[in-house]
Amino acid sequence: MNLGDVEVTVEDSLIIASLTGEVDISNAPSVEEAIASAIPNHASAIILDLTELEYIDSAGISLIYRLREKLQVRGQDLKLVIPANSPAADALRLAGVAPHLPIMESVQEARG
Amino acid sequence: MFTGQGHGEAEVSLGNGGASTGVPPRTGQVVLAPASADEAPSEQVRILYRLNDPALSELGLEEFLDELLVRVQEALAVDTVAILLYDEEADQLVARAAKGIEEEVEAGVRLPLGRGFAGRIAAERVAIYIADVNHADILNPILREKGIRSLLGVPLIVEGDLIGVLHVGSLTPRTFGPRDLSILQVAAARAAPGIERARLYSALEHEHTVAMVLQRSLLPTHLVDVAGISAAARYMPASYDVGGDWYDVFQLPRGRFGIVIGDVVGHGLKAAALMGQLRTALHSYAIEAHSPARTLQLVDRYMRTMVEPSMATAAYAVLEAETGVIQLASAGHLPPVIVGPDSGRIIEVAPAPPLGAFPYGTWTEQETVLAPGETILFYTDGLVERPGIPLTESINLLLEITAGASSAEHACQLAVEQLIPTGRLRDDVALVAMHYGALPDSLNIRLPAEPDVLADVRQLLRRWLHRHGVLEPDAREILLAVNEACANAIEHAYSPAPAEFELEATDDHGQLEFKVKDEGSWRAPRGEGRGRGLKLIQTAMDEVEVDRSETGTTIVMRRRVGR
Repeated sequence: MNLGDVEVTVEDSLIIASLTGEVDISNAPSVEEAIASAIPNHASAIILDLTELEYIDSAGISLIYRLREKLQVRGQDLKLVIPANSPAADALRLAGVAPHLPIMESVQEARG
Repeated sequence: MFTGQGHGEAEVSLGNGGASTGVPPRTGQVVLAPASADEAPSEQVRILYRLNDPALSELGLEEFLDELLVRVQEALAVDTVAILLYDEEADQLVARAAKGIEEEVEAGVRLPLGRGFAGRIAAERVAIYIADVNHADILNPILREKGIRSLLGVPLIVEGDLIGVLHVGSLTPRTFGPRDLSILQVAAARAAPGIERARLYSALEHEHTVAMVLQRSLLPTHLVDVAGISAAARYMPASYDVGGDWYDVFQLPRGRFGIVIGDVVGHGLKAAALMGQLRTALHSYAIEAHSPARTLQLVDRYMRTMVEPSMATAAYAVLEAETGVIQLASAGHLPPVIVGPDSGRIIEVAPAPPLGAFPYGTWTEQETVLAPGETILFYTDGLVERPGIPLTESINLLLEITAGASSAEHACQLAVEQLIPTGRLRDDVALVAMHYGALPDSLNIRLPAEPDVLADVRQLLRRWLHRHGVLEPDAREILLAVNEACANAIEHAYSPAPAEFELEATDDHGQLEFKVKDEGSWRAPRGEGRGRGLKLIQTAMDEVEVDRSETGTTIVMRRRVGR
């Protein structure tokens, strides 16, 4: 069983990458690679949806930061979907990074 | 070279060619008994001749193994002799022939490489002598149960490839000396090529072979063993025909485990091939996170798309590791039994049709709970159907026989040993068991410092926290913090040698304490990532102490929880 997984949906220039399962130091590098390689150059915005993610640790949080830097260089905008009370919200709150990231409650909000 | 291993265990390294070289090893640190002085040279010649007897070549594989084992037993005056063959695909040893411990073969014992007596002989390709079984790492419960006190084993090697293990045992404490080792090595050198030849040019009926290969390759050989949850299974083909029985065990997201048993109506290649399709279909629907009842329904609909009508009984259960709760759906399959140290019950299943029987069939789910220490056992009719005996009576007998099983492996072993008739099997038999291990009050474990263990650690901690009545969101925060501390220990272990770390968890009336200890040298947090990890630990816990020394780093975390 894969610990975690990525599903990517392409809607014109918008990319939605949804993470499921768990992300820790054992799979963070491969998950990052999977997301980065799924984003085409023509994409203008990327939504990283962590709604269904069951677990993420500091290695996963670093992944988000690295991904954001990578996309910034390419002029692409990253938005995070993390509902309050989700496991990802807990991790980001405890690590003290939540205030510094563009976090939305739902994919719908992130689209808008 | 002999190397003492403590507790009366001695290890004998052989040269590159292993047993096939037949060269007696030089003795070293451990003194073994010399060849008995009063043994006449002519007696030694006779023994060697008996093992190398050209007449042995005239025999088919079964008779050859049988005769060779008898002669080894005689030559070494031992109580037990066994040959285990290496199953390359499964990376396991499988009991193949035995004298004095025939149970080992009948029970279809499978052992992992690298651990235990036979596993280490195979992995390290060395002869191993165990003076006292009571003080050694023995994985195969049959050896202990049989009352074996001393063991000697050698690897079977053909042209540099490991093909198995040959071992002898004594019911009384015994010192195996260089003479015994030499004889066993000669026997191994004689047996290995014969077995290999017979394996390559097997005279088995062709279709039977094809069907068996098909069936074997479709059955999972690696069963889960995560955080106190373990599984074991057996498959035994009928003597004259292959059948359509199958089992499956797999890990699901959110700390759940799937366990499947099924039986395709009919026999022969067709049944075996259909079994493979149904097993794959069920597994695929199951990992899509469908409930057990819905999964059975989807497999039924899949069967209805097939050209030829077919039917199968099956049961699919999902165990939630944290709580022991089981969701079970059955399509006309026999009821599972749950057994424990002092419990045993039959899980009556709601009457329901087999898969493929009626259009628009639906199935229902029922819930049952495994208490810590209990094992759930599923089986096919071949295990319990006996002419002239009512089925309910046989199932009660199965319950009686497996009651008190201490593990999944133990439950399978008890059932096979006492219910499978010796001799020809009329029907094939599959059984699969899952054990919900009891957790100790306090955790104290050593783990390899590898990233892959983190998921298991979380699984274990979720169970432990649930058992100690810790509720969300406390449990979630604690899990995050302890995971970070473990990740930290794993990242410290950057030496090339395999490293380990320790995890302790205690509960003093709601005051939880977790200790993570590694032996790596401390490195300052590298980059933002580790810094965030430490921040996370500090925010989630009431108190955090980090003790860095030359010998390693210990992180102690405390948190009071309400219940």
